[in-house]
Amino acid sequence: MAPLKSLEQEYPILDSNFQSFCASHDIFSVEDLLLHDLYVLAAFAEQESSSERLKQGIAQVLSIIDGQHQPWLNGIELLEDAQRNKHVLSTGCEGIDLLLHGGLRVGQLTELVGPSSSGKTQVCLLAASNVAKKHIGSVVYLDTGNSFSPQRVTQFICQHSDPAIDQAKHRTLQKVMNNISCKSVFDIFTMFDVLHQLEFNLRSQMQGGDCKVQLLIVDSVSSMVTPILGGSGSQGHALMISAGYLLKKLAHEHNIAVLVTNHTVGGDGGISKPALGESWKSIPHVRLLLSCDHGGSICNVSILKHPSMAVGKAARFMIHN
Amino acid sequence: MEAKGWISGDESAKEMLGRVLSRARPFLLLPPLHRVPLRPRNVLEIVGPSPSAKTHLLIQAALTCVLPVDWNGVHYGGFDGFAIFIDLDCRFDIFRFSHLLKLRLASGSVSEIDREQNNNTIKRSSIAYDEELYTLCMRRFSYVRCYDSFEFLATLKTLHYRIQKEKAYGNCVHMLLIDSIGAFHWIDRASTCLPLRGSNRKSHSVQTVLETVVQEIRKLLLLHPMLAIATKATLFGNRAMNEAKWNLRKPDTSYSQIGGITALQLPYREYMPSAWQTFVTHRILLRPSDDHLAVSDDQNHSVYFSEWLLPSLSFLDKFIVKEAGVFLVA
Repeated sequence: MAPLKSLEQEYPILDSNFQSFCASHDIFSVEDLLLHDLYVLAAFAEQESSSERLKQGIAQVLSIIDGQHQPWLNGIELLEDAQRNKHVLSTGCEGIDLLLHGGLRVGQLTELVGPSSSGKTQVCLLAASNVAKKHIGSVVYLDTGNSFSPQRVTQFICQHSDPAIDQAKHRTLQKVMNNISCKSVFDIFTMFDVLHQLEFNLRSQMQGGDCKVQLLIVDSVSSMVTPILGGSGSQGHALMISAGYLLKKLAHEHNIAVLVTNHTVGGDGGISKPALGESWKSIPHVRLLLSCDHGGSICNVSILKHPSMAVGKAARFMIHN
Repeated sequence: MEAKGWISGDESAKEMLGRVLSRARPFLLLPPLHRVPLRPRNVLEIVGPSPSAKTHLLIQAALTCVLPVDWNGVHYGGFDGFAIFIDLDCRFDIFRFSHLLKLRLASGSVSEIDREQNNNTIKRSSIAYDEELYTLCMRRFSYVRCYDSFEFLATLKTLHYRIQKEKAYGNCVHMLLIDSIGAFHWIDRASTCLPLRGSNRKSHSVQTVLETVVQEIRKLLLLHPMLAIATKATLFGNRAMNEAKWNLRKPDTSYSQIGGITALQLPYREYMPSAWQTFVTHRILLRPSDDHLAVSDDQNHSVYFSEWLLPSLSFLDKFIVKEAGVFLVA
């Protein structure tokens, strides 16, 4: 938050007299003003000699504060924005699409929870290839465990295409693969870097035309957060929640669907539960539990949480080779 | 002459009661919030683990707030006012809100929807509702989302002017809804840093942020009588289960002090500072039960418990969340 000194250039009413008045009340920046009672401050300003100017300064600061929060919307405006921008992206997997009434919703954070080798990475790769191919949008894939496989993505893309024309197929494949950008991140600070860079790029609209980012995949978020959780400090939890909010902000403000994966840990009575604890439960919009039969290719997916669907609703799906 | 003015009084008791009671009409919200009448300037806290239908209760309260009492001969029983929704969780689904509103409008009263739902499933496209009333109600719903505590504080500080602007148009605000007051708890806790230059300078911590929040909401409620409802997620899991685990792992540590707490034994760990705890006037606890209610062949709804903690009522209500909203289970 800006110190009051730096605002003087743009708002000449916040002059040195105003700054020294604020300093006498231990206010040096806009952040301090947020934590103070402005009516009490105005009452103190009454007693000063230049009370009119000081009160004008306080009014100016209030209007600066008014620009610090997100805009107010009414129900109709919210609905219009949702209908225009927050469409649904098909994952390429019929069972999951049917369960989610179409697929991953733009503007929402979807979490896939499951034990190891339950198909989470396969679903992520399938969703990435499907979005890159069908929705003509680009995909950002943050890979924490070196599990991104270009061969598998090629398999998914070339599954349904006509095997006859080789040249055209090769060019389409190149174009689609160019839309998927994969980055290896191994700790949470690198992930923050990458996400902030992505936010900056999206805000300055450097990506034009049909290469707009539609899907952001983080595989897996738990392997980055688990090492920092625990211990007596709250830094780990704070980083986890900040990461969650950054992902949700990217999803909503820039119209991206975000997909993250999480593993399971042992819970009470031997029943496994999702990792990352209670605080993480409030972060994702949609939580899905995946499980795969041993040796079989049929997987189960069930809803753990959804804003408009009942908990426990399940479906089966199969990922073809 | 002046002394006589002191004795004669301003108004009679009947006039005073007439004035006060006409303004402070108690709100009777839909179940499971129906047991205790809520008045403007009450602060209700809905606490529960995730997921326990807290946001659904907020949506239901918002719908009741924006609906009119009567419209075109149909009785809706709403409070005919604006509802302000501050989304700190950033997970609000406008499609769900719009769908619930359409269902309420189509059927007029809540009991009708329940009967209809039990007979057949409602198709989204075939709901007949009054377009004009729908648009009016949607416009009465004001929404803002906050991504951190600063944005939340900035919103609260400028809310007074916003409400005043609406009053100038003749619209009054009846409800202030906050989704998840504890959303930034961990982030604020970790930002408690070293004392800054100037020993009296307020540093950013959970205490100062929540004290300022309570101060601002208190001022708002004084100036504009409305009902404040806030949800709170339990961040620390089930206390009884956690204690059992700790007792098993460290048998030599005496936990007698925990058992010796004679104060209210809450089934969850309270993490909000006392400024917020004393500000709350009503509290209700929601939690999922292990039962499931089979409504129809393919739908299995999980049953939730609701328990009033403040004022402390001794029985539990059971409710489920169906497509048309929250309904009590006998």
